[in-house]
Formats: sequence, structure tokens, C-alpha cells
Amino acid sequence: MSVEPFNRLVKLAARAFYDDITTKGDNQPKTGRSDNRGIAVVVLDALTRRQWVREEDLAKDLKLHSKQLRRTLRFFEEEKLVTRDHRKETAKGAKIYSAAVAATAEGQRTAKEGEEKIKLHTHSYCCLDYAQIYDVVRYRLHRLRKKLKDELENKNTVQEYICPNCGRRYNALDALRLVSPDDEYFHCENCNGELVAESDKLAAQEGGDGDDNARRRRREKLKDMLQKMEVQLKPLMDQLNRVKDLPVPEFGSLQAWEARASAAGRPVNGDSSSNDPFKSSQGLGYGRTPMTFIGETKVEVAFSGVEGKEEDVKSETASSDRKVLPPWMIKQGMNLTKEQRGEVKQESKMDGISSAEFSDDKKSNDDVDNKSLQDEYVKAYYAALLKKQQELEEAAKKQELLHAPNSNGVSESLSNRQVGMKSKREEDEGEDDVEWEEAPTGGSTGESYKVNDLNFEAEASGEEEDDIDWEDG
Amino acid sequence: MFFHIVLERNMQLHPRYFGRNLRDNLVSKLMKDVEGTCSGRHGFVVAITGIENIGKGLIRDGTGFVTFPVKYQCVVFRPFKGEILEAVVTMVNKMGFFAEAGPVQIFVSNHLIPDDMEFQSGDMPNYTTSDGSVKIQKDSEVRLKIIGTRVDATEIFCIGTIKDDFLGVINDPATA
Repeated sequence: MSVEPFNRLVKLAARAFYDDITTKGDNQPKTGRSDNRGIAVVVLDALTRRQWVREEDLAKDLKLHSKQLRRTLRFFEEEKLVTRDHRKETAKGAKIYSAAVAATAEGQRTAKEGEEKIKLHTHSYCCLDYAQIYDVVRYRLHRLRKKLKDELENKNTVQEYICPNCGRRYNALDALRLVSPDDEYFHCENCNGELVAESDKLAAQEGGDGDDNARRRRREKLKDMLQKMEVQLKPLMDQLNRVKDLPVPEFGSLQAWEARASAAGRPVNGDSSSNDPFKSSQGLGYGRTPMTFIGETKVEVAFSGVEGKEEDVKSETASSDRKVLPPWMIKQGMNLTKEQRGEVKQESKMDGISSAEFSDDKKSNDDVDNKSLQDEYVKAYYAALLKKQQELEEAAKKQELLHAPNSNGVSESLSNRQVGMKSKREEDEGEDDVEWEEAPTGGSTGESYKVNDLNFEAEASGEEEDDIDWEDG
Repeated sequence: MFFHIVLERNMQLHPRYFGRNLRDNLVSKLMKDVEGTCSGRHGFVVAITGIENIGKGLIRDGTGFVTFPVKYQCVVFRPFKGEILEAVVTMVNKMGFFAEAGPVQIFVSNHLIPDDMEFQSGDMPNYTTSDGSVKIQKDSEVRLKIIGTRVDATEIFCIGTIKDDFLGVINDPATA
């Protein structure tokens, strides 16, 4: 499927037929500035270097106003050179297209990440239709030639007859009255002379009217035009002949093309970008794919530290009756299982507890003097450590709650938490870095577990919102 | 092209037809009068297919004739420029040939006959290709395209061409 000969055909045809096409209406004055002749050629040339392309992107590439481009494309659509497709899609749908484009690995376009708008936009895509172009160009040439030849041969014109004696003229519509019973010629109604056909008379150079001269000149002109056409369109016709037996490059419909392009692009592309084509290849449903978990979770992780608080507080309060065991694990199936599992869990938990205990101790110390010290801390340091601290706090809180389940719900825990925060900061600064360092690492297994779990829960809640997004998409 | 249309005509009926089959007489007279006529506006009236309604008769002073306004449905045939017709050749001469498509006369001049067909005079004048495979003579059936019409008040005359794709002899009586 070599596109090159076809591209050449398109370029030749563009220059032959669409060179001075202007998309402006005839009523508008063609000033130098608004004269956009030649745009058609530029657009067609640009399209030969692409397959399916979004019209906005094309406009951007050509530095054209999209309206102008659209007008030109509509013209070409009417001329049957271009197929267009319009569809409503979200930014995500657009991304799928971008991915497909990236997968074609032309290197000339960068897959842009559209802003995540939930709004639907109608995007138009266009693509050259080579098979049709071939036919259209051929048909056009045929019509050109036929028209000129018809004119030249006086085809489809009413034959005229003239009486050489009296100069009276008749035309073929009078034939019925002119036919004579005796011979096979037409006879003049006036003088009964034999009529001659006009063209014969012209050859005989009889009665050289201005009219006749004009007609002859016209004939000459037509002949000249026909010859010129043959000469000037020779390259185009040659190209048509060359292309005749070649398989026509076929991109198919937009959807089919996207699917194919992205599928083809997947193995080629590196791991970094493979994500997108994968997504697109799976999700022809545009944005309804469940595949997006991968991407989404990352986001969730980022704010899990913040969001997690409320979540775990709730879960804590809910499951606090059960004591000691980490509730997030046990909730589902663990309840009924034997000690062994519980033990295993506890082992893993132990770390968390230990770390939590540290923090507990600290808290008790800190409660006294934290307020005074608090002011001294550097804000930048806060920012850096804030998240980790929060995580730790949560851990600590949990432990606290577990230890003292009767401590009343949310409000208390909140206050505790704040206290805890401060205390920790203070601690970090002042006393022992080691402990601090250790706390996260030591607790990392249990804690990370926790965090993850929390995320999971948070996700569940957060996902609902997300799901809605997807639905919209 | 054929059309099925409703036309109106004032029929004058002689008093001798008055009686219980006045209506039948009126209709048969209408058919006799109208079918086969040609009006420039509607073309040839081919057949009357039904009577829409017959109005109140009006007795003419002096004659005793009664005028009935009659509305009738009929099939009309009107040729148009560019229309493709099948016709029977009626006459062949050096200038071309005449053909008939139903009531319509069509003239095809020799300029509008393909260049490879030549006129052969003789007992049975005809146009023949150089290899003799195609022959146009009297009673040949040809398919032609109308390229011009002359519509008078009472007659329609056409000129046609067979110099185009898929036009020409469709049934030759000599070979058939």
C-alpha cells in the first residue's frame, strides 16, 4: 500500500483543478489580503502527509483559521476528495485520537493532553479518500474532454440548413416540412431549391458572414483548447495511468483507523506511551473504559494522606468494638478465621503498634510545652514533613483509639490529632531524629499497609465521584 | 414522458342525444374528440381513463346544442429535451432519418448519426457501419435522445441524436 503515487496524483490534481479556487463568496471583493487562492492546494498537500487528522490540529499546523480551513474542507467534501467525520467527544475521546496519531509514529505531531473537560465538543476529522479521488479526477477529465469534443463536433446542436438560391435558413425542426417525396434531399419551401447543411456550406466558404467567421474562430479556439488540455494535463493523466493498477491506500472510517493505528502502534511504542494506546485500543467506547484504574490510583495516593483522616476515623469508630486487631483487615472475611491469621496480622501490626507507642509517649510529653515551641518551627520544614507526619499521626491515633475505644468519636480524635501533630513536630526537631527516622521505617510495613488500605477505602468513596466523571465521558 | 392528469373541456352535445344515455353519449363523444389530439401545453392525449365530473349543461340560444363542462382524467405524452426514447424508423434519406415514438415524429440528422455509419442509397435507403453489422433502415427500432423540441399549439416535433453512449439500433427487422 504505497501512498506515494497517490499523493503525487493528489498534488497534481490540486494544482490542475484547484489552483485558483477561492472559498470566498463571489460577492465579496477580492482584495489582496482576503485573496485566499492557493489555500486549497496547501490544504490538499498537507493532507497527503497525514491520514486522519483533527481539523483543529490541521488548522494549527497550517496556521490557518479553523473556520477558513473548514470552509475549504467542506468544499473538498463536496468535491468528493475528502471524507470527514464529526463526532461529539470529551477531551478523553480526543486523547484516544491523539494516541492513535502518536502510534502512527509520524513524529510530526505531539499527542496533546486535552484539558479534562467533561463537556462534549464536536470534533471534526478529515482524511483523503484516495479511491474516490482517483475516480473523481478521471471523471473530471472525461467530462472536460467530452464537453470540448461535443462543442467541436457540433454535437447536440440543432442542425441548420440553408437554401443556396434564396438564402433562406431552416433548421432541423423544420425537417418534416422540408422533406420531399421525390428525392432524399430537403427542398426550400420558397424556391424548391436543394438545401445544404450549414456546416457543409461553411466548408464551401459561401456567404462569409461575420457570424460564420465567429463560428469558425470558435471552432479554432475549441480545437486549440482541447490540444492545450491534452498537453497540460499530460502529467496528470500519466499519473492516473500509473496509479491505475496499484492498490488504493485505504484508511477506512475514523474509528477503524484509530483502532488499527493504535493497535499497530502498541508494540512499537515504548513503555511510557504504551499506556495510552493500550487504553484506546481497549476502549473504543471512548472514556468508558474501566482500565483507567491504573492512572487514577496514583492520583488517589497523592491526597490519600489528607483524605484518609476522616475515612479512617470512621472506620476506626465503626470497628473499634473489636479491639486490638486492625479493623481494616478484619472487616471482611477475617472475622471468622482462626487465630493463626490473626496472629500473622498482629505480627505485621506489631511494628505499627510499636511506632504508635513511641508517638504516644511523645504525645504525653509534648502536651505540656508544645505550644510555646511550636512557633519556632520553620514553615518550610513543615511543608516537607507534613504528609509523613500526618500518616504517622493517623497511625498513632488509631492506636490511641484502639487502646481507648471509649474515647468519644470524631471531635475528640480530631483534637487529639492536632495535639499529636504538634508534639511530633517538636519531637522531630528537638530530641531524636533516629526515632523519627525509625518510626516510619519501622512502621512502614504495618503503616504502609494501613495507608494503602485507607487508600483503598478512600478510593472506593472517591471513585464514586470518579465514576460519575467517566459516565459523562 | 407520460403524465396522468385531469383536464377540462366544454362538450357541445346535439339535442338528438338527449335521453337516458345522455351521459354515455357525452363520454364517447369526448373520447372521439380528445384522444389522439395534441396540445402544446400538455402534449398528446393518449387515453381518457375516467370522468371526474360533468357540470350542468347550458342550452345554447338558437341552436339547441347543450354545453357540458366535463372534467376527465387522461394519460398524456409529452416529449422533453434530453429524454431518451425508443422509436421506429419511418423514413431514411440523405439528410438523416425520421422516426416515430408513438404520436411523436423525430428527426435525426446525419450529423447526429455516428460517424462510422454511412448513408447507402438504393431501394432501401439505410445507414450502415463499415463492417455492415449495424444497419438503420425503415422499420428499424432505435433508441435516441431528444435534443430539441418544437412545440406548437397543436403539434410537437422533435429532433434527436443517436450519437451517444447506448444509443442506436436496438432491434433490426432485417436480422430479427
